[in-house]
Amino acid sequence: MDRRIFLKGSAAVIPASVGLQMLSTRFAYAQSADFGSDEDVLNYALTLEFLESEFYRQGNGAGLLSGKEAEYAKTIGADEDAHVAAITDTIMKIGGTPVEAPGVDFGEAFASRESFLETAHVFENLGVGAYLGAAGFIQNKDILQAAAGIFGVEARHAAVIGNMLGLEPEGGVYMGSTETAQDKAAVLEAATPFLAGAGAMTGGAAATL
Amino acid sequence: MTNKEIFNGEAVMSFDNEHDRRNFLKWAGIVGVGSSLAVAGFSRGSVSAQAGGGDIDILNYALTLEYLEADFYNQGVDGGALSGRELALVTPIRDHEDAHVAALTSTISDLGGTPVKSPKFKYPEGTFTKKAAFLETASVFEELGVTAYHGQVTLIKNVDILAAAAAIAGVESRHAAILADLIGGNPFPAPVEGTATMKQVLEAATPFIKS
Repeated sequence: MDRRIFLKGSAAVIPASVGLQMLSTRFAYAQSADFGSDEDVLNYALTLEFLESEFYRQGNGAGLLSGKEAEYAKTIGADEDAHVAAITDTIMKIGGTPVEAPGVDFGEAFASRESFLETAHVFENLGVGAYLGAAGFIQNKDILQAAAGIFGVEARHAAVIGNMLGLEPEGGVYMGSTETAQDKAAVLEAATPFLAGAGAMTGGAAATL
Repeated sequence: MTNKEIFNGEAVMSFDNEHDRRNFLKWAGIVGVGSSLAVAGFSRGSVSAQAGGGDIDILNYALTLEYLEADFYNQGVDGGALSGRELALVTPIRDHEDAHVAALTSTISDLGGTPVKSPKFKYPEGTFTKKAAFLETASVFEELGVTAYHGQVTLIKNVDILAAAAAIAGVESRHAAILADLIGGNPFPAPVEGTATMKQVLEAATPFIKS
């Protein structure tokens, strides 16, 4: 799947209106084989956060935004950095081994303000779905609390970036009255085009994904 | 940031009495403190840990807050203070809060519980006719809702209910960020959402409950 398809396909991945489907919202999306431990979930999240952190580092360095937009993107980048640091720290605290940052390739994402923000919008919504899909596997209450707290902030990012793009409020800024979970396979499929090279695919991070 | 900075000195809120006003402003402080604590991250104990009365109680608590939000946005959208992009951004929020009320009500019933009835609400004069007053109040409600949901995360026992509550909480975070942007506030106050206890949240909501 190339990036263009990824971007186009994102609207289909995350339904515009979930409506009252909430009652059937379950962690069922997440298959029991997805994660064997809290460390697995955390390393999965860490890989996504590495991807986001590096994305904003490069994007914010490209000088595509100005004024309030630039400030927002800078804060979002700092949030992703904080997530990387906090998750890494937590994995070590529970005696695990944090994955290394994956190699990345953002292609033409930084060609323009629009492409930067459009890709950011996809990443943020992907993050929202990934956290919601993985939350049900978390055993430790403190880790669950923190993961939920990060999930909410990713949703903030997604909404504001959607608004910066001037998207339709429903389906662009908001994604229905409830968020939609995504399982690991779907998240991996969406993230793979941005993970660079065969080395990344066989390295720790991508293998964990 | 004070109201004065945001709204050029116009008084945006007028409460029935000084106690209500201070209670509401204190809430804004709690939100800020909660967010700062959250930055400290994973090492702290669970802030939300408290005596809980079961998942039905938590759902009824959420339902009460959603009643308040739904009532507030229905009056706000009908009030005519908003237009253009602001109205376009706020109208779906009203729809979401209505959907949350409906979903929570049926979930409670499905679980064999009894959904609480909606309280009657009251708002400071001008809340629905002055744009700044409406958006400022909406922003506080959304931050309140976010921290309320996150405050229950570790207390919910049923994993499906947790999934549903989280799915709603994420939407409240989107609302909170958009409203902060609309009032010139900070959409991203912290890298992790803060939490608040039921007691803190209900105390903040009390000024708006008539009966």
